[in-house]
Amino acid sequence: MAIISINNLVKNYDGEGLEVQALRGVDLTVERGEFTAIAGPSGSGKTTLLNLIGGLDQPTAGNLTVAGKELNNMSARELSDMRLHNIGFIFQAYNLIPVLTALENVEYILLLQGVDKAERRRRSTEILKEVGLAKEINRRPKELSGGQQQRVAVARAIVSEPELVLADEPTANLDQKTGSGLLDLMHDLNHRKNITFLFSTHDRMVMDYAERLIRLTDGSIISDERKKSSRESGERKKSGSRKSKK
Amino acid sequence: MKLMKKHSIEAMLAWRNVWKNKRRTILTLLTIMVGCAMIIFFRATQDGSYEKMIDDSIAANTSHIQIHEKGFQENMSIDYAFAPDEYPSIISFLQKSPAVLATSKRIHAGGLISHGNNTFVVLIQAVDPVQEQKISNLHTTVQPGGRYLTPDDRKKIIMGATLAKNLNVTTGDTVSMISQGFDGSFAAANVEIAGIFRTRNPRYDQAMVLMPIAQAIETFTMGDYVSSIAVSLKHTSDMETVRDQLRGLPESKGLEIMGWDELIPELIQAIVMDKLFGYIFYFILILITAFGVLNTIQMSVFERTRELGIMMSIGTKPSQIVIMVMMESVYISLLGVLLGILIGSGISYYFFLHPFDFSEYQKEMEVFAQVTTVFPAKLTLNNVSVTAFFTFLAGVLFSIAPARRAAKLNPLKAIRQL
Ligand SMILES: Nc1ncnc2c1ncn2[C@@H]1O[C@H](COP(=O)(O)OP(=O)(O)OP(=O)(O)O)[C@@H](O)[C@H]1O
Ligand SMILES: [Mg+2]
Repeated sequence: MAIISINNLVKNYDGEGLEVQALRGVDLTVERGEFTAIAGPSGSGKTTLLNLIGGLDQPTAGNLTVAGKELNNMSARELSDMRLHNIGFIFQAYNLIPVLTALENVEYILLLQGVDKAERRRRSTEILKEVGLAKEINRRPKELSGGQQQRVAVARAIVSEPELVLADEPTANLDQKTGSGLLDLMHDLNHRKNITFLFSTHDRMVMDYAERLIRLTDGSIISDERKKSSRESGERKKSGSRKSKK
Repeated sequence: MKLMKKHSIEAMLAWRNVWKNKRRTILTLLTIMVGCAMIIFFRATQDGSYEKMIDDSIAANTSHIQIHEKGFQENMSIDYAFAPDEYPSIISFLQKSPAVLATSKRIHAGGLISHGNNTFVVLIQAVDPVQEQKISNLHTTVQPGGRYLTPDDRKKIIMGATLAKNLNVTTGDTVSMISQGFDGSFAAANVEIAGIFRTRNPRYDQAMVLMPIAQAIETFTMGDYVSSIAVSLKHTSDMETVRDQLRGLPESKGLEIMGWDELIPELIQAIVMDKLFGYIFYFILILITAFGVLNTIQMSVFERTRELGIMMSIGTKPSQIVIMVMMESVYISLLGVLLGILIGSGISYYFFLHPFDFSEYQKEMEVFAQVTTVFPAKLTLNNVSVTAFFTFLAGVLFSIAPARRAAKLNPLKAIRQL
């Protein structure tokens, strides 16, 4: 079964006086395990779409099913629970709670889920190792570089092994090299843990990474292509980034 | 304990957020500390002065409890008198009760006193010279050159210094005293001034005359009757208990048994007014500290808008946000109050050891009928706990609004703030 299935999704914002049609009837199905990018120019509706999928906003019209749940009929509390248990979020920047260390930021999700302390520690430490931050686990966000902060955000998004990770321009604040390192990481996690990734971007390099690329313009999907070569390119760049880390 | 564990993450986040902006937090703590310390200290000075003023009044002449015939306090006339022998259970209670230090019989009468062309209205208080010295310190205020009354004295009085000055008399002079006897007869006598006292209480110094009770029984044809029995207790705090015990005796029916609070209503009223103004002042101080907390919490929430948005996006419940923000104010208020207790108690203790001493301004203070010139501070558990509780409570209550506002943030809008 598809993890995301969207039917004729419409989102209008009523700004002062005039209504902005951010999404004009979007149909989309995302299968489990896909590594999908949503690309499009600024204002095309990428963030709007991701927010609706994440249950952070309500659509004007249309149906939205995420992880087997009909979002339209869910209460704020149920949506909050769904975000906690089924979805991992990565935002563009400043994702982390400043007063918590990297480890605690990752643990935070497990804490909210009620996982016991030993288990929390173990899993969070392990994930931080996987994202290459074994030495930085006790640092606070402001003691980490932008790329390291985004890695912590990735670790936090996947630590509870959600079915779906939504990432809104996760590399936009990073330089090319750091950005591609982060994508390698996400791609690798996507393969190994079969976590579905859906991220937005308007960066060419990022689009090249995606296995599936959806193009959005003016609130409508104008193209949707699955690429074969992306996996190899991902592997290639990953090994490159491994080297550069040392 | 379970609850604490459940909310340990909110508590931990709150604690760290409190110290994120150290400068602001310390300023807020200082505000609470100063407010709380001021209230504790002011209340301590109030409590101390009230107690001192009451004690001074009790020691001067009021005593702890007075027993009269019903109606005496209202009329203050010689017509209201009773014979102690007719109340054996009361007398024996007073003799046996371990709380009682001493008792003294008194006769009160109004009268005129003249010397030469000067005549003044006076309050005549006839006392047992031996017993009276056990319950009042008036004998210690007799001016050099004179002396207090003795049991053998007849046709002798002592009088207040102001009265003596007004009459233009001194120790050894003879004055004439006119009054009305218990039986309605005319009572007059020439009496010699054995001493002049200076209590610093203008009421006594201007108008009081003391004479031996043996003389008064003759002059006023009292027989076995007295106007009052003044009772002195070992501890002021026992007054209510002893008074209630006395009132519980069947024989007390025709008597009025009054504690010092009923005997000096003017002072008690002044204290009540003073307390009231105190409370208004403390209320304002507490409001100021609470606004300090409110402001700090508000700022800290405002600065963290995006952070709060992220927290809610990834699954933090609004209730958890409320708890976290409230915990911040709990920590700040608690620390501030603890510091306030420390400083407030310290200052109060200092002024307990080194009371405010206005003896130099005694003359000026007498104008305001103020006998007490030395005011020690007195720190009570009630003062500290009530002050701490309300200061803390106000801080916490005032942070409910910003906490709720934080929890009602729309995560999307919040995340857009940078
Ligand atoms: N809260 C809002 N109120 C009014 N209009 C909005 C709001 N959020 C977005 N819009 C409008 O909706 C449209 C889609 O915005 P959206 O943020 O989804 O675009 P985007 O593709 O994410 O752009 P970018 O690449 O710049 O992040 C835009 O025209 C935008 O101005
Ligand atoms: Mg966007």
